[in-house]
Amino acid sequence: MDAHRQTALEPGPACCASCAAEEPACFDRITEPAIRLLVDRFYARVRKDADLGPIFARAIKDWDPHLATMRDFWSSIMLTSGRYHGNPVAAHRKLEGLTPQLFERWLTLFAETCGELFEEALAANFMDKARRIATSLQLALFYRPEHDRPRSAP
Amino acid sequence: MTYVVTENCIKCKYMDCVEVCPVDCFYAGENMLVIHPDECIDCGVCEPECPAEAIVPDTAPGLDKWLKLNAEYAQIWPNIVAKGTPPADAEAFDGQPDKFEKYFSSQPGEDDTARAPDEAAANP
Repeated sequence: MDAHRQTALEPGPACCASCAAEEPACFDRITEPAIRLLVDRFYARVRKDADLGPIFARAIKDWDPHLATMRDFWSSIMLTSGRYHGNPVAAHRKLEGLTPQLFERWLTLFAETCGELFEEALAANFMDKARRIATSLQLALFYRPEHDRPRSAP
Repeated sequence: MTYVVTENCIKCKYMDCVEVCPVDCFYAGENMLVIHPDECIDCGVCEPECPAEAIVPDTAPGLDKWLKLNAEYAQIWPNIVAKGTPPADAEAFDGQPDKFEKYFSSQPGEDDTARAPDEAAANP
């Protein structure tokens, strides 16, 4: 069922020919398997990145649940599946050393990965959402740091 | 940046937005919802879900009153994370003028999400 899942745990060699070659997949619609491939391939790249890798290595000790969370997140954003429920602002406030340059680097890698996997218009849809969310997180982190408080339970 | 709930939510309160919001940033008054501006991540998923077209990006013009109202009542009203039962007469109020002056209630919403188990089961 889940060939990509195994290799997603490690940033090393990929599990199948498509992943190994990092071949363009050019999905013409957004599906759960396409989101899975996007998330897994993107974070493999993040972990190898000189700037982002150390930040994520400090923050994420167990990648399997994190990748599952991020698949749920993008599924909720792009397919309105409602699978993710969380507080990304609070999650990012816990991280030390975040800068606007790191957000830009994240967006660059995400754009590269989206561009490889999706048709141009779909990649643009992903990037529109990613840029908006990145801007929103940065406003919260860098301009509203005083609101650092846990949210009340529902 | 954030999204903002505006006048046409009043007495419609369909709550479809709550189901799709990934960050649970909606807060419920007696007859409308608001978005917490510090929790919204500007993903825009909720905007097309609103049958009353009451959710708009804060970049739209003339939103001062609604920006303030969302920010103020998000601090007071309870968080809502699952769709409850919309008012039976929601459609009758959809699109009516001057809903704020006529109907706005500052009272917090009641948690009625537990009263719609059949609906929740039908829409997992």
